[in-house]
Amino acid sequence: MMALDLSMNKYSDVSMAEKERLFDEVKADERWHHVLYGCYECGICVAACPSARFYDFSPRVIAQSVAREDVDLVYTLMNDSIWDCSQCFSCDRCPRQNSPGQIITIMREVAVKNGLKSAKTALEGYGRIIYKIMSTGSQVSPDMLQPNAFPDWGGHVKEISDNLDVWRRALPPETLHTTETGWKITDKTIIELYLIWHMTGVMDLIQGVDEGLYMILVDVMEERLEEAGYDDVTFD
Amino acid sequence: MSHENLNGCIILKDLHYSVADNTWVKVNDDGTVTVGMTDVAQNLAGPILHARTKGVGTGRRKGKPIATVESGKWVGPVKSPISGEIVGVNEGLEADAQLINRSPYRNGWVVKMKPENLDAELADLETGDAAVASYKAKMENDNMAGCTHIEGSDTYE
Repeated sequence: MMALDLSMNKYSDVSMAEKERLFDEVKADERWHHVLYGCYECGICVAACPSARFYDFSPRVIAQSVAREDVDLVYTLMNDSIWDCSQCFSCDRCPRQNSPGQIITIMREVAVKNGLKSAKTALEGYGRIIYKIMSTGSQVSPDMLQPNAFPDWGGHVKEISDNLDVWRRALPPETLHTTETGWKITDKTIIELYLIWHMTGVMDLIQGVDEGLYMILVDVMEERLEEAGYDDVTFD
Repeated sequence: MSHENLNGCIILKDLHYSVADNTWVKVNDDGTVTVGMTDVAQNLAGPILHARTKGVGTGRRKGKPIATVESGKWVGPVKSPISGEIVGVNEGLEADAQLINRSPYRNGWVVKMKPENLDAELADLETGDAAVASYKAKMENDNMAGCTHIEGSDTYE
């Protein structure tokens, strides 16, 4: 377990103005006033938090530092702590109605929007999943259960993939009996998804965090949009 | 072929490298160029599961993707180190993308291109000892220990 460095030396090269700018962005979020009411350090959130059990992580420290407006500490946490949260919201049992989990949601969004290095590192491992979902418009589909597709899923995948049709038919809902239909995306839907991601700035967010991922997504999207007659939609 | 071994990472000295994008260019006798991923790139990606190249006839500006590469832990573009038209793709990658891991400079090449502005763009790439020095600096900067190779990889003497 990596210990959290709270000495405040680690980010001493980052200017106070920059740290304040990021914190102001967090506080400007419209959800802000519904997630923080003040903390009396009872520790109920920590007791309920699964991440606190396994990492050097504390939802109480999150709530405390933002309530005290400790700009230095908030910056450190935004880089080194908020990614240890599993966003389960077990902490939503605070007697003061604070939600450390939702405070973290906002902090993460600011970290992503500003392309902080910690956000890049934390999201690196998800690039492949984001690529699948955003290029196909669909979740990871069952026919991707191939021994070589996700090596980290382990050796039993071969056994499952060899008999995938049988396994699917064993599932209670009929709609899941196939490896295809439930995950089939119509042209209309995928074009709409591409346009939504384009117009709402999602693609800009991705560009800030993972330039390579952005590049291959744009490549897929521009080609498909052009085929659908949206020649005027460009990403650059 | 003269080469340098940096903690297991092989750099062939007669290729031209975009060190930042981890790609190489080889100038062929017929005026085309062959483009591929470097040994460092294959090592960073890990065992590659899919490599999808853009089709023959696709025009690409320098820096734009000529292929998408997926490994268990990573997906990303192979960025074209030069501008031009794709005139050939490595068909072998479809069935066996790990050619890139085993033979990044030979059988695992990615595309062949007809360059548009070769002389000027080659000048932006690095070759020979300069490329080796740049890779050494890059690996130190990125805290990269070295390269490992999967079974059946090319050997260099």
